[in-house]
Amino acid sequence: MEDRFIIGSAKERAVSSPQRDLGNAQLNPSREEPRKKLCGYLNKLGVKGPIKAWKSRWFFYDENKCHLLYCRTAQDVNPLGSIDLSSAGFDCKVDADEGVFEIRTPSRVFILKAFSKQAMMYWLQQLQMKRWAFCNTQTGLPVDSVTAAALPANESLLNETIHTEGEGFLPPVKTPTDVVGLKAASLPAPQLSDALQNISLKHPWTEIQNTIYNICGTRQHPGNGRSISGAECPGTFSSLPFVACIPAWHREIIVQQPCQLLKETGFSGPAATSFRAGAVLPVVVCCDDHSMSPQELVKLLHKALEAAQQEKRASSMYLTAAEDRDRLELVRHKVRQIVELSSRVEALETDKQELEQSVALRDRRVEELQEHVQLLMDKNQAKQQVILKLTEQIAQDLSEPVQEADAVAADTLYKQQEEIEHLKDDLDAYRTQNQFLNSEIHQVTKLWRSVAEKEKVLLMKCARLQARSCQVESKYLMMLRRLQEASPDLARGEAELVKSLIQEALQWDAKEEAVEALQLNPVREYDDYGFMTIPKYEAEDWKLLAKIQALEIKSNNLLSHTAVEKPLGERWAGMAELSPSAELKGLIRCGIPVEHRQRVWKWIVTRRLSHHHAANHYESLLRQCERTEHPASRQIELDLPRTLTNNRHFTSPTSQLVPKLRRVLLAFSWQNPAIGYCQGLNRLAAIALLVLEEEESAFWCLVHIVENLMPADYYSNTLIASQVDQRVFKDFLSEKLPRLTAHFEQHRIDVSLITFNWFLVAFVDSLVSDILLRVWDAFLYEGTKVIFRYALAIFKYNEEEILQIHDSLEVYQYLRFFTHMIGDGRKLMSIAFNDMNPFPMKVLQNRRATHREELEAELSELERIKAQYVKEQAEQVAWHLDGAVSEEEEEM
Amino acid sequence: MMAIRELKVCLLGDTGVGKSSIVCRFVQDHFDHNISPTIGASFMTKTVPCGNELHKFLIWDTAGQERFHSLAPMYYRGSAAAVIVYDITKQDSFHTLKKWVKELKEHGPENIVMAIAGNKCDLSDLREVPMKDAKEYAESIGAIVVETSAKNAINIEELFQGISRQIPPLDSHENGNNGAIKLGKQTTQTTRRCC
Repeated sequence: MEDRFIIGSAKERAVSSPQRDLGNAQLNPSREEPRKKLCGYLNKLGVKGPIKAWKSRWFFYDENKCHLLYCRTAQDVNPLGSIDLSSAGFDCKVDADEGVFEIRTPSRVFILKAFSKQAMMYWLQQLQMKRWAFCNTQTGLPVDSVTAAALPANESLLNETIHTEGEGFLPPVKTPTDVVGLKAASLPAPQLSDALQNISLKHPWTEIQNTIYNICGTRQHPGNGRSISGAECPGTFSSLPFVACIPAWHREIIVQQPCQLLKETGFSGPAATSFRAGAVLPVVVCCDDHSMSPQELVKLLHKALEAAQQEKRASSMYLTAAEDRDRLELVRHKVRQIVELSSRVEALETDKQELEQSVALRDRRVEELQEHVQLLMDKNQAKQQVILKLTEQIAQDLSEPVQEADAVAADTLYKQQEEIEHLKDDLDAYRTQNQFLNSEIHQVTKLWRSVAEKEKVLLMKCARLQARSCQVESKYLMMLRRLQEASPDLARGEAELVKSLIQEALQWDAKEEAVEALQLNPVREYDDYGFMTIPKYEAEDWKLLAKIQALEIKSNNLLSHTAVEKPLGERWAGMAELSPSAELKGLIRCGIPVEHRQRVWKWIVTRRLSHHHAANHYESLLRQCERTEHPASRQIELDLPRTLTNNRHFTSPTSQLVPKLRRVLLAFSWQNPAIGYCQGLNRLAAIALLVLEEEESAFWCLVHIVENLMPADYYSNTLIASQVDQRVFKDFLSEKLPRLTAHFEQHRIDVSLITFNWFLVAFVDSLVSDILLRVWDAFLYEGTKVIFRYALAIFKYNEEEILQIHDSLEVYQYLRFFTHMIGDGRKLMSIAFNDMNPFPMKVLQNRRATHREELEAELSELERIKAQYVKEQAEQVAWHLDGAVSEEEEEM
Repeated sequence: MMAIRELKVCLLGDTGVGKSSIVCRFVQDHFDHNISPTIGASFMTKTVPCGNELHKFLIWDTAGQERFHSLAPMYYRGSAAAVIVYDITKQDSFHTLKKWVKELKEHGPENIVMAIAGNKCDLSDLREVPMKDAKEYAESIGAIVVETSAKNAINIEELFQGISRQIPPLDSHENGNNGAIKLGKQTTQTTRRCC
């Protein structure tokens, strides 16, 4: 229907255009109506053409014709097509895409797509309503006989029931305003695809018209559209009162028929005049019947008249022929024509026969296909039956085991039941047993826990008591030593008593040690890093002191473990990714747990050295070591067996760490030729190796310490920076611990004689390993300030004790070992980082700078004196040679 | 009651010759193959009777590596005696010894008692420095010379006894405790007198 509507000759379009104008004219007033109009954008599936694609179309409903019209955009004047809804059915397929629905008209199926399911439902419902409304109103109007016959008698009733039923099934869908209705027209076409795709190739003419119309922008004067389509068309046509109420298809038929007739007459030649003349009347009648348009009638009549005139001319020619011969000639001519025509008729008949044959062929084929279809259907049915059978079988199979169980003999069943009963009893028994055992385990665990706790407390107590007894013991021994020293002044009897007491004490000590090994299992001989927990001292008093120390550390560790270290350990465990922060600084100051130390040190070192961490750098240094021997290698070799002698990893002859240490130190001597090797670096590298294990990491750790943390020239030839630091340290000591400084000055004690190596090797071999590594944690992260802080803290820790010693020798003696006697690492840490605050880096740097200047000046002065002395000496020698005789004379 | 005299003694010498071992043997009568290298210096004391006096040795053991030499003045300043150690199995260490003697003569306290110790005499198979050379040199500088073995406790006590003997006895009460320094001054006076 659509095709007929639009495509065709210009004449047809001329006829159809008023209709559209009419439609538009009716559309216009309705737009002003408040009532909602059914219109909106939908996608239409193109059927024709090579590519089936969705095209966006503006659909609007024409109330009067019950047509759904569509065009490209809402602004277009000429619709591309229309769908007759009165005879259409609507459908939406479940398996189709969302929003896809169909409108089925007798001639064509339109596949449309709404933008959502809701929109689709809206459309469908609206269309149903429109169709129903239209059909309801239609019944009141006179209908075409054909249409009337086609319509079932109770159509309206049916429609009504369908509609009401439909209402019951589907609640009315809310209008999706954004895609439907007049507002949507102002929006751009929702489909964003290529504009070209939307252009209807099928209706180029309409497209052009619409485009032009849109360009002109005025609906009132559709320019060319009207001049072309409505030129021959008098306005009276649309003003005819009855036209408006005739349903669209009636009008089409009306227009159609004469046109077809006219075409036929156009094709047939003048030979068919007699037949045609007779045909004029029915045409006229037909026209009358159908109340044809007057103009068309005139045209038709004109044509008929022409044909009649032609016939009349032929007859008159016959009549006017002069002679019989002429007439004969005419007749003959006609006869020839008749023969010709009859032969043509024959040819057509054979054609017709052929066509009939082919039709028969087709029919047969259709039959065959139908048979085939039947066959397939049969097959399908058979298969379904098979499936049904199989399903039944499965159901049976499933129920079979039960049947089998039923088949088991009764006695065995009885036995089994009995057995089951037994088993049930057993199960109950086991269950109660299990419950009991669970409670038992719970109780025992509780008991064990409390006992363990008690044991721990007792052990701690024991450790403390032992430490105390050791302290008392050592004090007693010291007393004895003093007495021994003073023995020359004592009376003979007293001196002997002292001697015997000393002997006794030493033996007792040896005895006690043997017992102690049993009592104090928890004090291990070596710690996590292989350091001896009780250093082996030869001197008896030191031995005791060392023991006290170990016990003190142990009791400290026991006390702090549960209170402090556990939560710290948890915080460390939560720190998977390391990044510099105040929190991390605090944690590192508290000491890194053994299990995290390696990871954190590695991170610290690589973070600070990443810029010149060239790959293979270490290996290339090692290769260089192999090629050429560094002058420092002799010294390195000499020191290797003397490194960390209290650590089993370095003292054992099979140790893997010694060769590693050698390579690290040799590589470093090439890494920094200005330093080469300085005694003390071996200890730094050894600690790095103990913690980091990996040779290359230890090397980079050493580089980090020497090149990043320590000031320049700390280890170089004159050790000038180290000497400067001693002076800086004395400054800090006098500032932070003035009482102690005064005490030292009073006894003329130079602390740098003691502290020099603290700084050079960062306390290695001075502090107990446990505390040492904690100091190193902070030292590696923060730098030399940590060494200053701890050095001050060590003095502060022992300040009172030092102040009580009033003999310079004893002070020196005390200072020699007092670092080993520090057992409370936590207290020391707190002093270092709390009591020593503030400790600004700027002050340290300034002091370093000024002292370095001073020291350099002093050194150059010394050089000058040296040179002068050498000169004087030379002069003296010369003089001496001259005066040798006189000296001899004097002696004589 | 015996008078106690404090005598500051410093040990000088090349690295690894056994300075610390000598001190350790003397003070604790103990020997350890691998004593940690001395960094800076270490300090020990030992009291030894000498005649009617008690000599309390305040021993400063110094680091051997050359770059620590710049610190040495701190230790030999005010010393009554210096023990300069070499390794009889290493000719180099004898050269270093000569350097030390020279430095002491130039910058050390005047009339400091010098004692040369040829350590590791238990390794005479590997000897590089003949006893004769050491004796001749010691004579030329007026020093005590003795070959020692800290490992086998040979001549260690004797070394310090020799030093004790070389320290002039206190001539009067007025000198007090700082005998060594006073003595030094006295000898200076005598030399000046002879000039």
